[in-house]
Amino acid sequence: MMQNNYATPQAGSSMDNSDKQVLAKMVDSASAFHKVVAQPQTSVSIKDVTVSFKTPTGIYTAVKSIDLDIRKGEIVALIGHSGCGKSTLMNTISGMVKPSSGEVIANGKRVTGPGPDRGIVFQNYSLLPWLSVYRNIYEAVDSVMKDMCSAEKKDHVEQNLKMVHLYEHKDKLPGQLSGGMKQRVAIARAFAINPSILLLDEPFGALDALTKSNMHVELLKLWNLDNRNKTIIMVTHDIEEAIFLADRVVVMNNGPAATIKEIVDVPLERPRNKKEIVHDPLYMETHDKLLSLLLDKFSIEDEVE
Amino acid sequence: MPVLYFVGSILLLLGIWTLIAWGNRNPEATDLVERYPLPTPLMTLDVLSEIFANPFQNDPDVKGIGTKLIGSLMRVGIGFGLGSLIAIPLGLLLGSSKFMMSLINPIVQILRPVSPLAWYPLGLAVFSAAGGGDGLMNPSSKAAIFMIFICSLWPTLINTAFGVASIPQDHKNVGKAFGFSVWKYIIRILLPYSLPHIVTGLKLSIGVAWMVIVAGEMLSGGDGLGFFVWEEGFNAGKTTHIIVAILIIGIVGFILDKFFSSLQKAFSYDAK
Repeated sequence: MMQNNYATPQAGSSMDNSDKQVLAKMVDSASAFHKVVAQPQTSVSIKDVTVSFKTPTGIYTAVKSIDLDIRKGEIVALIGHSGCGKSTLMNTISGMVKPSSGEVIANGKRVTGPGPDRGIVFQNYSLLPWLSVYRNIYEAVDSVMKDMCSAEKKDHVEQNLKMVHLYEHKDKLPGQLSGGMKQRVAIARAFAINPSILLLDEPFGALDALTKSNMHVELLKLWNLDNRNKTIIMVTHDIEEAIFLADRVVVMNNGPAATIKEIVDVPLERPRNKKEIVHDPLYMETHDKLLSLLLDKFSIEDEVE
Repeated sequence: MPVLYFVGSILLLLGIWTLIAWGNRNPEATDLVERYPLPTPLMTLDVLSEIFANPFQNDPDVKGIGTKLIGSLMRVGIGFGLGSLIAIPLGLLLGSSKFMMSLINPIVQILRPVSPLAWYPLGLAVFSAAGGGDGLMNPSSKAAIFMIFICSLWPTLINTAFGVASIPQDHKNVGKAFGFSVWKYIIRILLPYSLPHIVTGLKLSIGVAWMVIVAGEMLSGGDGLGFFVWEEGFNAGKTTHIIVAILIIGIVGFILDKFFSSLQKAFSYDAK
């Protein structure tokens, strides 16, 4: 992850001009130059995807006829009520769930199963409890980075551990860590295999508010370190989290057979400051818009009553 | 404290034993052995020196109690070892494949309830026909080993299969998401998760095996603690010898169980 992607020509085309100006200040000028001339490139393309499951009571359709294109380097949040199929939709990108119809293209290739180009951070961390923090990451690196020698792998794992400030805890078992630390291990593991697409399934849902805020900033730092080259797709039900992190927020209808209700652009410049951003009128406008999109169903019911 | 409880427990046992022996006494009899059909702890203590005088004597017609114990342990060890060698891989296979589970499970369900003793004559018939050897390798000893082999299959097989079948989806997803090879999946996910279940199976198996060996050696004769109980205890009219053998069997069984419990602890990742 620390290796230099600065000269990658197809980088970060998702940003609008103001974003690019900010970026020019943030990173070295060579990379900014390349970003300006870069052509938009699609990272993930969801084409007419429907997912149905067989259940004892019949066929249950979780999501229906979803179309969505996500650009390289973009951060997209999928938001919706519990059970609206947002995790299911994301699992079609990771390859954990096969669409019943339609297809998902990731990095130009049709998704047929999980692959190392898509790193996953699971909702419940999914660390292997019998392996140390170090081993948990090492096993993933060992599986994916086949052309590294073992000293390089060791180096790479340690680098990633340092990045999430867990190097001192590398020999602990997951059971000895707090929730936030476990989540950082899971994120380091996903980053360590250097995927071009990062999939986060309610990654901060189980964390307290303070830890959560820190993790948001940490995540954006990691994304910046990698020159904003990674596409990040995250599932969340937290509006503030979605606005702070994402370039676009995809609001889903309630299931069954959930569809995309609306896609809301987040017009806030990067880097975003956690403290100041909430006073930005654009932030409040976006927040209100998302809130009403998520709540309108209830208000209609209220009116009927 | 645990030591005090242990001592208290032993004293309680000796007390109950003495009471029962005393309640069953035959007041008219003058001879001590006839007076107490169930010998008292003190009478049992008296014969210990006789029984343990030459424990590892190993002449063709006179074998010490230690030699007999080793004979029993060898048969249990061989039978249990072979059984586990079959049961663990088979259990791993059944746990990971629904097809194999559906195919093999009926066999297990039919053979598992069969009393291990029922396998003894079958083994004896087959091994006798195959011709004899000496000591551990004579047909009746082989039949006893076969019986232990069969009865130590089931708990290990069932626990291993259950362990593998219950690997949480989360752990499997890690393997999928990070592209673990089959080998890596087996040694980093499947085995570590199932190991505590496997050891539980082994612990149950060794318990059954140790119980069954005594009955098996009563049938096979010639060697072992079971033979000691029957021949030198009952047939020789020495009830004290039966009691001593029961105590030895109990203590050895206790040690075996403790050993596997410590293995269980060593292999469970939660406890660390």
